[in-house]
Amino acid sequence: MDQILFALLNGTIYGLLLFMVSAGLTLIFGMMGVLNFAHASFYMLGAYFAYTLQPLTGFWLAIILAPILVMGVGILVERFILRHVHEHGHAHELLVTFGLSVVIAEMIKMVYGKFAVDYRVPAELNFAAFSLSGIDYPFYRLFMGGIAVVMFIAIYLLLTKTRVGIVVRSAIYRPQMVEALGHNVPMVFMGVFGIGAALAGLAGAVAGAFYTTNPNMALELGVMVFVVVVVGGLGSMGGAMAASLLIGITNSLAVGSDFRIADILTWIGMGGWADEVGGLLTMRMSSLAATLPFFIMLLVLVLRPSGLMGEKE
Amino acid sequence: MGFQKFARGTAAMALVLGAATAAQAEPLKIALVETLSGPQASTGLLYRDAVKYQLSKINEAGGFGGAPIELLEFDNQGGPVGAADRVRAAISEGADIILQGSSSAVAGQVTEDVRKYNLRNAGNEVLYVNLGGEAMELTGAKCHYYHFRTTPNAAIRVNTIMDGMQEAGVLGERIYAMNQNYSWGIDVQDNTVEAAGRLGVEVVETTLHDVNKIQDFSPYVQRIQAADADTVITGNWSNDLLLLMKATSGAGLDVRFGTAFLDQPGNIGNAGAVAEGHFLSTTFNPEVNPEESAVFMEDYKAFTGHYPSYVEPTAVFGMMLLGEALKSVEPTEDGLNAADLAVALENARVETPMGPVYIRAEDHQIVQSMIVQEVSRDAKYKSDDTEFGFVPIKVIAAEDAEQPVQDSCKMKRPG
Amino acid sequence: MKYAPLLLLVTVAVLIALPWLVSGSMLNAAVQMLISALFAMAFGLLCGQAGMLSFGHAAYFGVGAFAAVHAMNAFGGEGLLPTPLLPLVGGASGLVSGLLAGYFSTKRTGVYFAMITLALAELLHALAPHLKTVFGGEAGVSSFRMPAWGIGFGSLNDVYFLTLVWTLVSIGLLYLFSKTPLGRLALGLRENAHRLRFLGYNTHALGTLIFAISAMFAGIAGALQSMNIEAANYVVLESHISTAVVLNSFIGGVRVFLGPAIGGAVMTFFGHVSSDLTRVWLLYQGIIFVLVMMFLPRGIVGELVERIRNPSGEGLARTISTLLARLASLAIAAFGAVFLIEFLQRVLSPEYRAGVTEGNWPDIALFSYDWAPLSVLPWAFGLGLFGFGIALVIMVNRRVAARKEAQA
Repeated sequence: MDQILFALLNGTIYGLLLFMVSAGLTLIFGMMGVLNFAHASFYMLGAYFAYTLQPLTGFWLAIILAPILVMGVGILVERFILRHVHEHGHAHELLVTFGLSVVIAEMIKMVYGKFAVDYRVPAELNFAAFSLSGIDYPFYRLFMGGIAVVMFIAIYLLLTKTRVGIVVRSAIYRPQMVEALGHNVPMVFMGVFGIGAALAGLAGAVAGAFYTTNPNMALELGVMVFVVVVVGGLGSMGGAMAASLLIGITNSLAVGSDFRIADILTWIGMGGWADEVGGLLTMRMSSLAATLPFFIMLLVLVLRPSGLMGEKE
Repeated sequence: MGFQKFARGTAAMALVLGAATAAQAEPLKIALVETLSGPQASTGLLYRDAVKYQLSKINEAGGFGGAPIELLEFDNQGGPVGAADRVRAAISEGADIILQGSSSAVAGQVTEDVRKYNLRNAGNEVLYVNLGGEAMELTGAKCHYYHFRTTPNAAIRVNTIMDGMQEAGVLGERIYAMNQNYSWGIDVQDNTVEAAGRLGVEVVETTLHDVNKIQDFSPYVQRIQAADADTVITGNWSNDLLLLMKATSGAGLDVRFGTAFLDQPGNIGNAGAVAEGHFLSTTFNPEVNPEESAVFMEDYKAFTGHYPSYVEPTAVFGMMLLGEALKSVEPTEDGLNAADLAVALENARVETPMGPVYIRAEDHQIVQSMIVQEVSRDAKYKSDDTEFGFVPIKVIAAEDAEQPVQDSCKMKRPG
Repeated sequence: MKYAPLLLLVTVAVLIALPWLVSGSMLNAAVQMLISALFAMAFGLLCGQAGMLSFGHAAYFGVGAFAAVHAMNAFGGEGLLPTPLLPLVGGASGLVSGLLAGYFSTKRTGVYFAMITLALAELLHALAPHLKTVFGGEAGVSSFRMPAWGIGFGSLNDVYFLTLVWTLVSIGLLYLFSKTPLGRLALGLRENAHRLRFLGYNTHALGTLIFAISAMFAGIAGALQSMNIEAANYVVLESHISTAVVLNSFIGGVRVFLGPAIGGAVMTFFGHVSSDLTRVWLLYQGIIFVLVMMFLPRGIVGELVERIRNPSGEGLARTISTLLARLASLAIAAFGAVFLIEFLQRVLSPEYRAGVTEGNWPDIALFSYDWAPLSVLPWAFGLGLFGFGIALVIMVNRRVAARKEAQA
C-alpha cells in the first residue's frame, strides 16, 4: 500500500513539474498556434540564471530574479524574431524557434562548459518532510509541487477573473475583433510570450536545483512538454494540468511494474509461446516507461484529436 | 622487394581512394576520431587532451622513424554515421592508426570499418586503438586482430568493484543491480549476477531503465528500498548516475553505490555530500604510488590546465603502451606497417604509476591494475573544487583484475 | 529558365567527373551530400508539394536503412539481391511502413499531423534499443558490400557512383511524379483539401499514397546510407535526423523542386567542413537556420528562383551590382560575427581559463594574429566589422528602396 501511495505521490510531483514547464507553452500555443521549440530552452535558461545569481543574491532572490530575466529574453525573442517570421506561416515560426533552441544550447555550453554545474538545493530546504515505511520524503519535492499548484491557481484566476484575462482569452479566438475593439494585440502576444517564458524559467530555477543543471536539460524535457500540451488540448490550462498528472503518474506506476504482455497471454495458455517469441511480448513495463507518453499521445491524437480538454479541432 | 611493396601499397591506395596520396617519407599520422561537438562532446574533449598530452611525450622522445608523429583530429559528431565518414577521411589522409574512445556505439562502427578496410586492403592495414569503448562484444563477437582495447570492460569493472568492496567489508549481503537498458548496462548486470554468485552474496533485484531519459528516479529508489538492498551496483553514467544518487540520498536510504563512472567531471561538484561514501573502480588514483603519481598529475596539469580524471589516465596509459610498441617497430618505406605494430603491441609492456600494463594476445584486451576507491573528505586531490575526492580502498593487481577471454572471440591471426 | 536543361547537364557532368576532381575526403562528403539531398527531396514531396509537415521522417529513413542491412546479410552474407539493386529493398520497406503510418497520420492535418508523425517516430526510436534481433542494440547491425556485376563495391568510387545513380534516378522519378495527375493532386491537397473533397476525391487515400511515396524515397536514401557505411544503428531513428531534414529542406526552399536537394547538400557540406574547423559549428548552424527563416522565407533556392522569375526591372547589370554589394557587406558583417564568436569561445574555453593566473591573461591567437583579451582592440574589431557590415546592408537596401520609389 505504501508502495502505491509513494508511486502516486512521486508521479503527482513529477506531473506538477511537467505542468510548470508546459503551462507557458500551452498559453503560447493556444494563443499564437506556435509550437515553441525553444520553450524548454527557457526552462534551461532559468536554471542557469538562478545558478549564476545564487552566490550574489542568495537562493530566494535568485529564483525570483531568474524568471524575470528569462521573461526579458522571451520578450526580445517575440519582438525581434517571431513577430518578423509570423507572416511566413506556422512552419517557419516553429523552425525559427528550433534554430533558437540550438543557439541557446550552444551559448550555454560556451559560457558554462559542457558538464553539469553545481547548482544545488540550499541546505535549509534540504530535509525530509515526512517518512513512510523507511523512506524519507524530501521537503523540496513538496515545495516544487506547491509552487506548481500556486502557479496553476494564479494563472486560472488571472485568465478567468480579470479584465486582462478576458482580453487574452478573446485574443486567442478572435484576434481581429479584439484589435478592432482597440486592444493592442501584438502587445498582448508579447506579454503572453514573456509570461510563458518566465513560467518556464521559474520551473527551471526551482527544478534545476533538485535535478541537474546541465546543457542537455532542455533536450531531455523538450519533447515531453510537447506531449503534455498536445494530450491536454490546444491552449487548455486545465487540460495541461490533467495531461501532466496523467503522464507523471503513469510513468511512476509503470516504472514500479514488472508487468509483461506475455503475462496476459499466460492466462490464455500462450505464455510459453510468448516467451519463445520474445521481443515486445517479454519486455518489462518498467523498461518501457519512457515510451508510454508517446503511446498516450498517439492514442489521444487518433481517438480524440482535440486533446483531453481542448476545443474541437 | 621494399620498393615493390611500396609501389603496391601506393597503387592500392590510389585505387581505393581515387586520389593518390603520397605516403613515402611522411611522418606517421595518427587520427583521433572523437566526438568533439554536440551533447556528448564533453568526454570526447577529454580524450583529445589525454592523447595530445601523451603524444607530446612520445614526440619529445623522438617520435617515430626520426620524425614527430602527426595527430589528425576528426569530429565524428557523436554518431556512428559521422564516425564511418571520418574514419574513411582519416585513412584517405594517410592515417595508419585510428584512436577513439567515447561511446561504445561509435567504437562498434569504427572497429567494423577498420576490419572491413583491412579485408579489402591486405598489406596496407590500419590499426584501431580503442581508448574507451567498454562494451563486452568489442573483445567478444566483434574482436579482430587490428582492434586493441586499452580500457577496462564491464567484467573487469564489476568484478573489481565487488571484490574491493567485499574486502573492505562494505559490500553487504544484498545487492541491487540498477542499469541502463543497452548493451553496456546489460553487460554490467550480467557480470554483477555472476560475481555475486562467486562471492556468495545475493542479488535481490535487477532493473534496466531507459538511457538518459529519466528525470525522476524516485520510483526506482522506492524499488531499491522495497528490495532492502545494502549495495547498488550500477554502470550508469552522467545524468543517470547523478539523478539516481540524488534521489536515493533525498529518500534517506542508507545504501552504498558501487559505480564505474562516478569520477566524471561535474559529478562530485553536482552531487556534493550526496556522493560521500560511494565507491568507484577505475584505473587510477593519485594517492596510490603518490610520488610518481604526483609527478604525472602536475605534469598533466601543466600541459592541459587540469588534473587528469575520469577517462584521461586510462587513455594516457593506453597511449603509453602504444608509444612503447612504436619504439620496437622499424619504419618501412611507406611509413608504418600496421601488422608489425600489432605484433609489437601484443608484446609491449609499460610501467605506469599504477603498475604494469600490457595487452593480452588472445582478445587484445588490456590487462592493468584497478583501484577501488571511495568518495571522501580525506582525499588529497579534491574533485570539482569541492571538499571531496577519491581515496583508494584497495589496489587490485593486474593479474587479479584480469577476467577470462570470452568464448565468442574468434580472432583470426594473419598467416 | 531556358538555360535550365543546360545547367542540369553541366551539373550531372560535374557530378560524374567528381571522383577525378576532388580528394578522397571530399568525395566521401559528396556521398553524404547526395544521400541527404535525396532524403530532403523525399521530404519535399510530402511537405512542399502536399503541404504536410512531418516531424518523423527519420523513421522511414531508418526502416530503409535496416531493411537494406538485413538484405545485405541475407543468405549468409550473399545478399537478397545483387548489391546495386539493394536500395529497392529499402524503398519497398519504406513504402510499406509509409502506407501504415500514413494511414493513421493523414487522418489529421496541420500541427496534429506533425505530432502524430513525431509520436510514431519517437515510439520506434524508443522501442528500437529493446529489439536487439532487428536493430542490433547499441552496436548496430554490420554488413558487407558484396561484389556484383563485375564491380567490387569495395572502393569509395564504386560507392559514389552507386549513390549517384540511385540519387539521380530517384530525383528524376520524383520530377516525373510531380507532373502526373497524382502529383498535381498533391498540390491541390496543399492548397485546398476541402475543395478537393467536394470534387469527389478521397483526400485521405490521396494523402496516404503521397505519404507512402515520400516514405519510399526516404527508405531508398536510408538504404544508400547503410550501404555506404556498411552498417545501421538505431541512432538513425533519432529525432534530430527528422528535424535536420526539415531544416535542410526549408533552407533550400521546400516549394521549389530542387530546393530541398540543394539545401540538404549545402548543409551537409557545411557540417562536414565546419565541424573540423571550429568547435562551435552547431552554433553557426543554429544561427544560419534562424537567419534563413527570418530573411529568406522561401529558402535559398526559392528566393533565387523568385528573383529570376520576377526580375526587379532594373536591368541585369544593376541587379548584379546590387547583389554583389549586398553579398560583400554581408560577408564583412559575417566575418565580424565569426571573429567575435570564435574569440569569445577561446576566452571562455576551459583550457584558456585554466591558463589564466592572477590577472595575467595570455594573448589569444586567432586568424594568425595575437590578441589580448583584456584590451578593447579585439572586441572593437569584431563589433566594428559586424556593425559596419550591417550598416552597409542597410545602406544598400535604402538605395534600392529609393530607386524603386523613384520609378513608381
